[in-house]
Amino acid sequence: MIERAFFYTTRKRGKTLMLLLTLFVISTFVLTGLSILAAADHSALSLRQSVGGSIKLELDENNRQNWTYQQSVGGTLVGYTGTPITDADIEKVMSVKGIHGYNGVGDGSVFAMDFSFISGFSFGPGSDYSRLPSVSNSEYFNYFRRGAFKLVEGRHITPEDDHAVLISTALAERNGLKLGDTITVQCCYDAGGYPNVSLEVIGIYQSTLDDGGFTTTSTDKRNRLIIDHKAMQEIMMHDVIQYDNGVEFFVDDPRDIDKIAAQIQKLDLDWNCFKLTVDNTAYEAVASSLTAMQNMVTGLIIGIVIVSIGILALILNMWIKQRTHETGILLSIGVSKVKIVTQYILETLMIAMIAFGLSYFSSGAIAQGTSNLLFSQVAETQPIPEIETPDDGTEYLDITGQYIPYDTSNMVAPDSIEVHVTVEHLLWVYLLGMAICTAAVVLASLPVVKMKPKNILSQMS
Amino acid sequence: MSILEVKGLQYSYENKKRVLRGINAQMEQGKMYAILGPSGCGKTTLLSLLGGLDSPSSGQILYQGKDIAKTGFADHRRNHVAFIFQSYNLIDYLTPMENVALTSKLPPLPILEQLGLTAEEAKRNVLKLSGGQQQRGAIARALASDAQVILGDEPTGNLDEDTAAEITAILKDSAHKSGKCVVIVTHSNELAKEADVVFRLRKGDLQISDASEIEQERKKK
Repeated sequence: MIERAFFYTTRKRGKTLMLLLTLFVISTFVLTGLSILAAADHSALSLRQSVGGSIKLELDENNRQNWTYQQSVGGTLVGYTGTPITDADIEKVMSVKGIHGYNGVGDGSVFAMDFSFISGFSFGPGSDYSRLPSVSNSEYFNYFRRGAFKLVEGRHITPEDDHAVLISTALAERNGLKLGDTITVQCCYDAGGYPNVSLEVIGIYQSTLDDGGFTTTSTDKRNRLIIDHKAMQEIMMHDVIQYDNGVEFFVDDPRDIDKIAAQIQKLDLDWNCFKLTVDNTAYEAVASSLTAMQNMVTGLIIGIVIVSIGILALILNMWIKQRTHETGILLSIGVSKVKIVTQYILETLMIAMIAFGLSYFSSGAIAQGTSNLLFSQVAETQPIPEIETPDDGTEYLDITGQYIPYDTSNMVAPDSIEVHVTVEHLLWVYLLGMAICTAAVVLASLPVVKMKPKNILSQMS
Repeated sequence: MSILEVKGLQYSYENKKRVLRGINAQMEQGKMYAILGPSGCGKTTLLSLLGGLDSPSSGQILYQGKDIAKTGFADHRRNHVAFIFQSYNLIDYLTPMENVALTSKLPPLPILEQLGLTAEEAKRNVLKLSGGQQQRGAIARALASDAQVILGDEPTGNLDEDTAAEITAILKDSAHKSGKCVVIVTHSNELAKEADVVFRLRKGDLQISDASEIEQERKKK
């Protein structure tokens, strides 16, 4: 049987070449399509990851029993009496699958002791201070994540840092500061008695925001000093690190954000004091262009696969129909139907193995070009997404209560992606291709082997 | 004892035309049988039924006393009978040697050489052989098998007179010397007169024909 299959494929060279060519072209298309689809999926994931999505664990200000309000001369003093967010809570949340990082944000206000802020509108003596956030990972800090700040020198703050600060280019220029220099600050709260704290400049950022118009010293983003929590602990004379502005957790794939939030909600945390807020704004803004890109590629692949299966079934049907006489002869000399069909399957698979193998190289050669052509067309139809400032008071993310705009210029489906034809894709083509070939041969053979040998032979003669 | 026995064999085509009407016959090993009859009388159909290529409408075909409908037509084809067709029906991408190997585990060359093919011809693709050489290959395939019954459908029909005579002699030898039961369907009185028993198929009935009848027909032609 194997020998006969070998003889047929090597001696009926014309037919073998025709089938080889057909299978080669089809598998090249399918393999190319699969590679582009995988690359598009990967690219979509990268885009989703780059736009990100976060879940914020913060103190629930709506639960009034955890808060105290005291009238004083300057206004209402607000105090928190509930459970604070601790590092243990952060660890619990980080154990949830699908979260790759976090950033806790603390809040304070300081005077510049050995340097000067860029002065804004003054409300009188003592107003020349700046609000400063402390962060666990400045890379994840909203300003940087949304593209409002870009680090131009040095590095970001990480949880290991101790008394580090990021300053703006404007502040560095004004004070002649560079990486490695130290600045001294002091908490400006009325209570007084706060220590001078030295901070090492480890990074300098460029603000892309145009504050324009009216700003005070504290609301001018060029004065924003971004520091680590240990520095904040000393500045504010806290016993432990306080995450006053909550902790943001960053998900691997914003598409899964609701599921992850639901899992966090099930954790053993003090939900009387905490609340969760999901921020998926950026993802939702790019979701439509991502969906359009993926739908187009997926539709194309499905089309290719369906057409390929159709052509393959037709060719194999013809291939088997041409063997009707041979089938009759083999049946008449007592060869079993199973052996006859197995021979035809073996022949097809022998040819398919070679065709699929060759398609690995042809796909490798055309996949990138095909992908470039496809994606340049997608890119033409996709506008840069716009994220508008919400007007319902839900988007005030800066510690000073200011909205941080998104830089959406990178939030578009790419106009080209890097496509690699991998062995895994080839294995899929082998697996699916061989299954389809086998099914097509069996289906095409059934009507022939069901016939009585006499009918086959008399038809042929 | 008969190796093949036909009991009350009837066969109708799909259009209900009845072509065999209750045939009874017995065939023994070591003898050559010829079945004569006009075109369309059902000779090939009868041969197909004897060889398990088709199933009868009613009646039985017994091989060594066992109904082949019960033991299985495929098994009958595989183990008991071997066909020789007018159009040879060799597998066209194989050599005569490889065609013979389809039905036999014995080395195919000796039998092909015995039937008059050279070693070079035996290894040539069958489509590159003459009709006579192809028919020798087909006969070799039949004889090399373990089958005790050889069924020939006009085995000399496409051959010239000399080759036909040689093939007839080979078939006769396989009955008389190898002890096979050879059943030939033919139009040829020349071939029929070499048979030990001649059946004549008339209007769906099979009757034994005597030698004088055949000789008379031969002379008429």
